[in-house]
Amino acid sequence: MATDHQADHAHTPGTAERSGLDVDLHRAVLGFGGLLGFVGLWWVASLFQPAFVLPSPAAVAETFVAEAASGEMTTALGQSIQHWIPGTIIGTLLGIVAGVAFGWSRLLDDITAPVVRTLRPVPPLALIGFAIAWFGINNAGAAFIIAIGAFWINFYASYGGVEGVSEDLLDVARSLGVKGDLELVKSVVIPAASPEILTGVRTGIGRCWMLVVASEIFGVPGLGRRILRASNNLQVDVVITYILVLSLLFLLVDTAFRAAQRRVLAWR
Amino acid sequence: MAMSHADGSMVRIEGVSKQYDGEQGTVQALDDVDFGVDTGEFVCIVGPSGCGKTTLFRILAGLEPATAGEVLLDGSRVTEPTPNMGIVFQEYHLFPWQTVRENVAFGLKKTDVPTDERERRVDHLVDLVGLDGFADSYPKALSGGMKQRVALARALAIDPALLLMDEPFGAVDAQTREMLQGELLEIWEETGKTVLFVTHDVEEAVKLADRIIVMGKNPGSIRQIIDVDLDRPRSRTDTAFGQYYERIRELI
Repeated sequence: MATDHQADHAHTPGTAERSGLDVDLHRAVLGFGGLLGFVGLWWVASLFQPAFVLPSPAAVAETFVAEAASGEMTTALGQSIQHWIPGTIIGTLLGIVAGVAFGWSRLLDDITAPVVRTLRPVPPLALIGFAIAWFGINNAGAAFIIAIGAFWINFYASYGGVEGVSEDLLDVARSLGVKGDLELVKSVVIPAASPEILTGVRTGIGRCWMLVVASEIFGVPGLGRRILRASNNLQVDVVITYILVLSLLFLLVDTAFRAAQRRVLAWR
Repeated sequence: MAMSHADGSMVRIEGVSKQYDGEQGTVQALDDVDFGVDTGEFVCIVGPSGCGKTTLFRILAGLEPATAGEVLLDGSRVTEPTPNMGIVFQEYHLFPWQTVRENVAFGLKKTDVPTDERERRVDHLVDLVGLDGFADSYPKALSGGMKQRVALARALAIDPALLLMDEPFGAVDAQTREMLQGELLEIWEETGKTVLFVTHDVEEAVKLADRIIVMGKNPGSIRQIIDVDLDRPRSRTDTAFGQYYERIRELI
């Protein structure tokens, strides 16, 4: 799980974002070339395999269009969003609050550290039993699984961000009349840690899309359920179609968030 | 405005000592440091590295407790950072997420100064330190000298009785340092603030101070307190300037 977390980080580069337009264009062209190459390889590989092992890109495109036209796709999407959105938001908020609080307060940190270390390695999937028992086979149960995933990423990102806040900035704030923990956290700690906190949010958003499949494993309908059902029927084209839907959604949300993040962190 | 006492002594440092318990036993960082600063006075604390002047700065600012003795500001004991004291650090420590104007306004927001008065004061200060063209810039876009000007304006904004500065011009190039020294003197004359300025640069101390607290090390303590009786602006090529300089160099 810990390595998982680091891998997530590796997927969200923070430094490359400030490159110039030329560099962006250059990268876009290269990226597009890479994408074409990948599809090409896939197509060549599919020529030597039966369709239930690896369908061709064209076959998948056909299925994609058919699924979209039949309304199946939008239905599944609508269902998934109903737990993805609340799960992500709740997990993110709780993770930030806990991360900031435990990162700031030595006392809270000392009290909670053993509990945190015990709970941290539990994969969200292992909690499906609790999701069913506490919430039932419904959106709340699925949101719970997603929220757990978002929680830990945001918890550690915020915790680390708060730990890294310069003691000197806090001294300056105190000398300028900021009194009490709450005021210091509000006016210095959170803004100073905001780059790390926002990186956590962004990483968490991506992780939650991955968890959509896991969260629907016990029967809640949605994109993940559709993938699992198609897998059971060896409809690999349908599986790939919905994997693509998840990827595109991730891309969409991530791009939007990145743009927002850049604006908020214009001072960096 | 700053309150002043009948005897004029605004800051009293009384028998301040500081010991650290390290692995090699107890280290005496400061030993019985005792002096006062009068209202409106410009006092420099000068000494070599390791003489405990930064420790003394931190105790004065209320950032660190003394092992013995106390610091009194306008008669009341300093035990934590107080808005009565504006602090300027060597490394600026601006809030990077705030613009120049927001940095300067930071402390004012915690006071009950009305908004329009606040705006006026911030405008004036940004102007005073010559950054009117950069009011909406973030610190990342500023040079070291500009950052230190912002830090100075930010400290002045809450109208503190005392301006406490720790090697504020230590991180900028020589030319900028000279400029900032001149600007600080102008601001000091204009606002009538009391300034307590820590430096390791003897020339800087002679150039700025009314009075110089010369410190030595092992343990960190006052060697001598020297009144600088020179007209401003002072020139280092001046014979009297050189005499003060040599005298202090010999002490530390």
